[in-house]
Amino acid sequence: MHNRNAWAIAPLMALSLAACSGEADKSADGAPPAPTNQTLAEVIADKGEMDTLEGVIRNAGLSDVLAGKGPYTVFAPADAALGAAGSDLSDEAMKAQGAALLRAHIVPGALTRADILAALERGGTGGVQMRTMADGLLTFSRDGDAVTVTAADGATARLTGDETVAANGVVQPVDGLLVKAE
Amino acid sequence: MKRLIPLTSVLVLALCASSPALAQNGNGNGHGKGHGAGNPVQQDRDDDGDDDRREGRRNGNGRENRAERDVPRNHRSAEVRVREIVGDPPREGERAVRELRRGLERGESVVGREVIGPRRDEVRALLQGCPPGLAKKDNGCLPPGQARKIDRSQSYDRYNYLWRSFGGDGGYQYRDGYLYRTAPDGGLLGYLPVLGGILSTGNVWPTQYTYQQPPQYYSRYYGLNDRYQYRYSDGVLYGVDPKTQAIAQVAALLTGQQIDVGQRMPAGYDVYNIPYDYRDQYVDSADRHYRYSDGYVYQVDPTTRLVQAVIQLLT
Repeated sequence: MHNRNAWAIAPLMALSLAACSGEADKSADGAPPAPTNQTLAEVIADKGEMDTLEGVIRNAGLSDVLAGKGPYTVFAPADAALGAAGSDLSDEAMKAQGAALLRAHIVPGALTRADILAALERGGTGGVQMRTMADGLLTFSRDGDAVTVTAADGATARLTGDETVAANGVVQPVDGLLVKAE
Repeated sequence: MKRLIPLTSVLVLALCASSPALAQNGNGNGHGKGHGAGNPVQQDRDDDGDDDRREGRRNGNGRENRAERDVPRNHRSAEVRVREIVGDPPREGERAVRELRRGLERGESVVGREVIGPRRDEVRALLQGCPPGLAKKDNGCLPPGQARKIDRSQSYDRYNYLWRSFGGDGGYQYRDGYLYRTAPDGGLLGYLPVLGGILSTGNVWPTQYTYQQPPQYYSRYYGLNDRYQYRYSDGVLYGVDPKTQAIAQVAALLTGQQIDVGQRMPAGYDVYNIPYDYRDQYVDSADRHYRYSDGYVYQVDPTTRLVQAVIQLLT
C-alpha cells in the first residue's frame, strides 16, 4: 500500500522537477510567469547581468520609484546592451542623463510578453504601440519568433531572456537601448 | 436640449456595478490658484473635499439592485469616478443605465475633463534667461567669472541626444542641473529644470518652475507621505518638504496624459497592461478593452477607441 502511494506521486514529482530545471519562471504554455514578491528594483538588483542598469537607476534617484506602487514595465538592457553608456550614466555628474534614458525604457502598467503577442495578433502586421514615461512611443512587431521593439527615433531592440513579473510591474530584458545615440 | 447633471450616489453605484463605461471622473481640479511665478498651469492642491464628491459612493440602503448583483464582488473594490452626464435625471438605476448606454452609442452622453497634469508642451515652456546664480555668456549660462568647464561639457554633450524627443528646432544641451535649448544659430532660447538635474532629492525646487498639485486620489493610490507637499511636473511626481522647499522624494513617473471619457484613447495603449492585482476584474472582451495609465484604468471601446470610463483603483 505504501509503495503504491509512492508510485502514484511519482509523476507529480517528475513534473515538479521539470518545473525547477531552469524554466521555473516560465510556464509551459507560454503564459506569463507567476508574480514574485519582489519589487522591480529588487528584481533588477538580483539579476547579475543587470548590475550596470541597477547602478544607473540608483544614480538617477529612481530606485524608490521602482520600489514603489507603480506598476511599470521596464525594458531592461543587460550590461552588454548598455555598453559605454552604462558606466558613463552611473557617474554622479550624469544623473539627469541616466534619468532621461531610463524614462525612455519604462511604460505604464504590467506588460507581459503574452500581452504583447496577443496585441500583435489582434493588431496585424503594422505593430502595436505603447507610450513611455519619456512621452515617446515604442512599437512592437514580430520578427520571426522574436519580438522587436522600436523607438520613434529608430532605435531597435529585441525582447530577450526571461521576463519577470514583479510585485509592481514587469521586467522585460532587451538586447539594446531604446534611444538612438547620435 | 442637453443638460448637465451630477449623478446621485445611488445611480453611481448602479452604473459602477453594471458598466464602468457609463461613469467618469468629476469636474477635475482645474480651478486652482497659481503657484510660483504665475504660470497659468500651476494649481493648488484640491484639499476641499471636492475630490471625494466626485467619487462614486456605495448605496447605503442595504438593498442590492440587479446591476450590483451582476458584477463580480472584487469589482466593487474599485471606484468609478463620476463627473457629469448629459440626459434627463434618471429615476432608477436600470433606466439610467439604458439611457446612458444609448447616449454613449450616440457619443454624447458624457462630458468633462480628467485633469491629471499639465500638458507636456505647457510644462516644457522654456524659462527665459538663465537659472538663478548664472549669467548669460557665450550663448550659454555660466557662473559669473567662471570659465567653461570644457571636459565636463564634452562629457555631457555626448548624451544630449537623450532629450531629442523634446522636439523643436535647434537642440538641447544639459549643463549642471538644467537643460538649455539653443536655436539653430546657437543662441540661447531658454532653459528647463530636469529630473536628475536640479530636480533631484536634496535640491530646492526652482521657484520659477511650473508644477501642479496632483489629484487627491494619488495620495491613496501611490501612498504618498503626509509630510511632503506633492508636485507634478513633466511626467514626474515629486515630494517637496514644505518648510525647506527641498525635494525629498521622487514618488512616481507618470505619462501625464489627460485622457477623458468621450475622447479617443491616445496612441500608445495597444497592449493590455492592467496591473496584476486587477486582471480578474478588468478583462478585455469583444466590446470593451481596459488599459492602465497613471493610477487609472480606462475602459475603451475597441472599435471606436473612445474612452468609456475612467476608473480609480483603490489600494
